[in-house]
Formats: sequence, structure tokens, C-alpha cells
Amino acid sequence: MAETKTITLELFRYHPETDSEPRFQSYEVPYDEDWVVLDAINWIKDYVDGSVTHRWSCRMGVCGSCGMMVNGEPKLTCAAFLKNYYPFPIKVEPLVNFPVERDLVVDMEGFMDKLQDVKPYIIRDDVNDTSEGEYLQTPAELAQYKQYSMCINCMLCYSACPVVGHEDDFLGPAALALGHRYNKDSRDQGQSERLEVMLRSEAMWGCTFVGECTVVCPKHVDPAGAIQQAKAMGAQEYFKRFVMPKGAGATKGAGA
Amino acid sequence: MSRGKSGRPTRPSGEAFWWALFSAGGVMAAIFVPAFILATGFLLPSGDPAAAAEGAQRLAALAGWWPVKLVLLGVITLSLFHCAHRIRHTLMDLGMRNLAGFLKLPCYGGALAGTVWLALVLWGI
Repeated sequence: MAETKTITLELFRYHPETDSEPRFQSYEVPYDEDWVVLDAINWIKDYVDGSVTHRWSCRMGVCGSCGMMVNGEPKLTCAAFLKNYYPFPIKVEPLVNFPVERDLVVDMEGFMDKLQDVKPYIIRDDVNDTSEGEYLQTPAELAQYKQYSMCINCMLCYSACPVVGHEDDFLGPAALALGHRYNKDSRDQGQSERLEVMLRSEAMWGCTFVGECTVVCPKHVDPAGAIQQAKAMGAQEYFKRFVMPKGAGATKGAGA
Repeated sequence: MSRGKSGRPTRPSGEAFWWALFSAGGVMAAIFVPAFILATGFLLPSGDPAAAAEGAQRLAALAGWWPVKLVLLGVITLSLFHCAHRIRHTLMDLGMRNLAGFLKLPCYGGALAGTVWLALVLWGI
């Protein structure tokens, strides 16, 4: 019988209660060309070292939990095949631009705050009674925002974006794309309210169109494109307010 | 700068204004400026030298017509502001984020100075 092939995984380890600083630990993992990096980490946790801490759930690119840096690139580890790295070692680190909670797990709180800032839900001035039925939408109206609604909040774009790394006030690709998704939704009436947030100094304007967010996005959301469209919308709103300060319908819902 | 619960600024900023100039200037710099350069820098001089010289004279005369002056002022001014905004944000990306406010002075001030100089030149044609 042929000798079992193996591949080396170098995992970022940090347990804040005992470690003064992070370190890397190497593990030899059986190599299977059908395996993804997440399978290898799960194997380590199950058979070698139960103290390895990481987040995962669906294993099929839907839940967005297993994002990590794989050889320096933000990736969903459930979609990063070992065969793309074999026979070289694979270095796995927590997503950059986030505080590390433990090993490969990052603190998502700042990200969740930013998501809430853009009010990612349909805002209506007049809410129809359910007996009146759904708010209907044409296929063309759906196409306006559908692509931006595919985000799974995996946060890869936050790790890829250099602006996120050095500007705390920047809302970041996923949150801005999500805000834009609702601004483009024909059923929504909260555009001014959302733009109120997005017009703040670095919230949206911090984006320098590096475009890496779109490159790493596993769901092809194109946050960079969404941000450019949102900027154009924001600039229109800015001039509208300049021409018609305080009212005349320009700031609908903004004071709410 | 006033900040909200999350620690982020709460006021809308004037960045929208600079971005609008940047965006308009981007269109100028990407479409009109290359077209002008292609026409006046390559196509015109590539033919018969005598015809090129005559063409250049006619172009110079055209530039003396005030609607053309306005177009030139618009195209070049917006391109300057596009350039200024890009330089400012590049410097911020390179680590000068704390100077974001101060950088407006040399960047947009430079574009404004270029605009004034250009207006004087066009006035003199």
C-alpha cells in the first residue's frame, strides 16, 4: 500500500488567557484532493488538538462563517481546496483588519455595528395592511438590487480592503453594498435616511476604489460597483440638500 | 467633529462635493483629454507638414472663440480637480490620514490655482 500523502497546515494560535502573543503551530494532515482547508482544520480539531478554535457551519459557501486568511488571502476555507496548495504548506490566519478573539476566530462586533448603521431593512412611510397583499415588483426592479442582496456577511471584503485597515469610520464594502441594496429596492422609501449615514465624512467617501472587495467576494456581489453607484446617489442628494436646504421633500425621513 | 454612539462622525461632510468634481473630472480625463491629445498631438502632425501647420493655426484660432474657451476651461479644470482628489486620497492611503483636512489646501488649492492660471491664459488668447 502506498504511503499516505500529507500536507502541512500552519495555524495561527492565540489564547489570550494564557498566551502573551500569537504564535504559529504546524500540523501534518492527511492529504485528500477532495478536501478543503476547512476539512483539514476540522480533522486537526477532531484528531490532534481539540483546543484549536475556529468558526464554521454549512461547508458549502452559504453561511459565511469560515472566512480566514489562507496563505495571506481572505478566503472561505470551505471553498479553498488543498489540491490548489499541495505539496506546499498552507498558512491559515484569522481575517485581518479585525481584533482576534481566539485562534482563528475574530471579533465581529464592529462589523455588526456598521451593518446596523446602514439600516439594512425596508423602510416605508406608509405601511400597507397585509390584506392589501404584497408590494409588487417587476423583474426589472428586482434586477436593480438582486446582485447586492447576495452578500453572506463573510467579511472577506473587510480583510481585503486597505481602507478598512486604517480608517475606523469607514463603513466598509459589505455594509455599504447592503445599504445600496435597500436604496435601490423599489419597495423602500428610506433612501434619505440611509444616505444621511452614508454621507458622513469617511463613511463612504473613504473608499478609494481599490476594488479588492469585489475580487475576493465569493458571491460576486461587486461591493466596489455598489459603492461607486452609492457615491453618485450621495452626491446627488448632497447637491439637492444644498439647493433645497431643510425640507422641500429633499430630506424625506431624515429626521426620524 | 461630533461623534455618535458608535464613535463615528454624525454630520454629513463636504466630501460629496469634492467627489462630484472628481467624478466629473474622471469622465473628462478618461474621454475628452485622450481624444484631444490623439487629435492634436498625433493625427494632425502625422500628415502633410504644410497641412498640419495650417491645421494648427486654425485650431489656435478656434481656441480664441469663447464657447471653445469655456469647453477648454471645463475639461481642464475638472481634470485638475480629478487629479487633486486622487493625489489627496493616495496620500491618505499612504498613511497621511490624520492630515486629510490639511491636504485639501495643497491639493484642491493647487487645482484652483491651475484653474485661475488657465482662465488668464484663455482670456489672453
